[in-house]
Amino acid sequence: MSAPADPRHADPRHVDALRVGPRAAVVLALACAIGLAMFCWPLLSPPEPEAMAHAGDAPLLFVLLLPVVLAVVLAEMSEGGIDPRALALLGVLAAVNAALRPLGAGTAGIETVFFLLILAGRVFGPGFGFALGCVSLFASALLTAGVGPWLPFQMMAAGWVGLGAGLLPRRVAGRAEIALLVGYGVLAAYAFGFVMNLWFWPYATGPGTELSIDPAADLGENARTFLLYTLTTSSAGWDTGRALTNAVALTTLGPAVLATLRRAARRAAFDTPVAFAPRAAAPSTTSAITASTHRSPEERA
Amino acid sequence: MTAARRPARPLARTLHPGAWWLWALAMAVAASRTTNPVILALLLAAVGCVVVRRRTDAPWALSFRMYLVFGAVIVVTRVLFRVVFGGGRGETILFTLPEIPLPDAARGIRLLGPVAADEVLGGLYDGLQLATMVICVGAANALANPKRMLKAMPGALHEVGTSVVVALTVAPQLIESAQRVRRARRLRGGREKGRKALHGILIPVLEDALERSLALAAAMASRGYGRIGATPPRARFAVGALVIGGLLGMAAGLYGLLDAAAPRHLGTPLLLGGVAVAVAGFALGGRRVRRTGYRPDRWRPGELVTVASGAAAAAVMVLATRVDPADLYPSLTPLAWPQAAPLPVLAVLLGLLPAVLAPGPPSTPSRETVA
Repeated sequence: MSAPADPRHADPRHVDALRVGPRAAVVLALACAIGLAMFCWPLLSPPEPEAMAHAGDAPLLFVLLLPVVLAVVLAEMSEGGIDPRALALLGVLAAVNAALRPLGAGTAGIETVFFLLILAGRVFGPGFGFALGCVSLFASALLTAGVGPWLPFQMMAAGWVGLGAGLLPRRVAGRAEIALLVGYGVLAAYAFGFVMNLWFWPYATGPGTELSIDPAADLGENARTFLLYTLTTSSAGWDTGRALTNAVALTTLGPAVLATLRRAARRAAFDTPVAFAPRAAAPSTTSAITASTHRSPEERA
Repeated sequence: MTAARRPARPLARTLHPGAWWLWALAMAVAASRTTNPVILALLLAAVGCVVVRRRTDAPWALSFRMYLVFGAVIVVTRVLFRVVFGGGRGETILFTLPEIPLPDAARGIRLLGPVAADEVLGGLYDGLQLATMVICVGAANALANPKRMLKAMPGALHEVGTSVVVALTVAPQLIESAQRVRRARRLRGGREKGRKALHGILIPVLEDALERSLALAAAMASRGYGRIGATPPRARFAVGALVIGGLLGMAAGLYGLLDAAAPRHLGTPLLLGGVAVAVAGFALGGRRVRRTGYRPDRWRPGELVTVASGAAAAAVMVLATRVDPADLYPSLTPLAWPQAAPLPVLAVLLGLLPAVLAPGPPSTPSRETVA
């Protein structure tokens, strides 16, 4: 927080609300690699049919370990102390996401959680996007009680969606930006469905069907079976529904929401450090904070 | 007054928020074990009774009604979705709606068509289960003081935990915010429908939420929140080394576990060892956050009774699923009238105990003395 304003972030359209330091970046990269391995376990180590009957030990271990990995990453990202402004924004945007999520009720792939996540990741940077993905899904799980073995996987995957949105090229603006975000939203919708399918694939099909995993086959063979499975069961229907929701929401609401988020980012003035100064100097240094406490008169009625 | 008349009664005070959360989550776990509407209705009644008898006059205690409305919305949407997207799987067809054909690309989705009783009832049962779980969480929200909850987060996750608490607290306020925006729109004569209406409601609500977050941030910053105590570089280095080393260990262990060529027996110990080291780093990093507690909440008999009652309810319900799952998941094919077996009812009664045994809320004398 005491870091001076960085000229790199002079561009008001993008801020790094949650700056990821080099150490946190290493931890994040390691955690992403571990998470990816946990998602891809069916391809890397096809379970034997006997093990499947006992639900397999390794994936159960992953359900317990992935939360630990997430906790470590989030702790490391907040290691330098999160700016209270970023923290409050994180909480409030996660609340909006959690409130948006039940609108779709998870039916036919109408998934309303991603569009705000993508836009916020775009405006507030990759670190914030990752944290928002995790916190949103966690809060939403607590609120609508979707807590279950899938939650850590969903948190990780949603974190990736937010992280990726923050890493998109920053130069693009205007209509091209919306087009870029829509493209990313469609891609993210399919990728999310893909990894969530991959993790659960051996359990969903069970052994012995046309689309089941074959322990004897090699990686390429199983990958092809999985592609067939995911294309027939979800990509065509559910994931398309999710991609369409993303595209429609980003096109119709994207520009207005982006403007709103950028206005908030400007008013939060993340690059202005909050300093506690002696009494005499107080008004000038805390102006960024006091300015933000004014409520708009529009809602007074 | 009540205390004088019945001295055995515990002194009125607010319970540790963790106790209410554990009780409510245990009740949600109990609800997650059944889709039987009779049991779920009993569970809802028990939770509602505890909330009405034990909540304070604080503003967050009023949010319970919002959760009830929200639960109703969940049930209705679930059923509607089944009707619209259900696709008429089932034997007892109630009525048939004209089906809207979709292109081949959107496979798996079917609009309208025949509506089966099994489908609708399935949606109702699922929705009621989810709604009950939501209302259990709503009970925790109504009973537990969220500000006191802030104190109980583990050190290293203090900040992220705070943002989760903010999210949980803000979510119900969003509903109220949306209502305010709609009222303002109506007063201005705004009658647009569809996309424009969505614009007109969503954007002001988002603006309002962001305003609120900045106000909250200002309040937090002005109280010195987010100030970092001086951490010695050596301690920081130790935390970093432990965390990175632990994650590397986990990655190596995973490789051993997942790669067929690697020695398999090396995998699990390396993985668990890595986890232990990473958790040690996590705990050490948590010591950086130094907080002092003003009047810390303590775990006393009232808290323990509350948690025990919730845990017992959940345990009995899990036991009931082992003993007789048919009662807890009423059959849809063939359609059968749901029955209430004694064991789940016992679980609900166990969950009801805090309404009597937990200490009552302070400063609400009228409710007790009138009754």
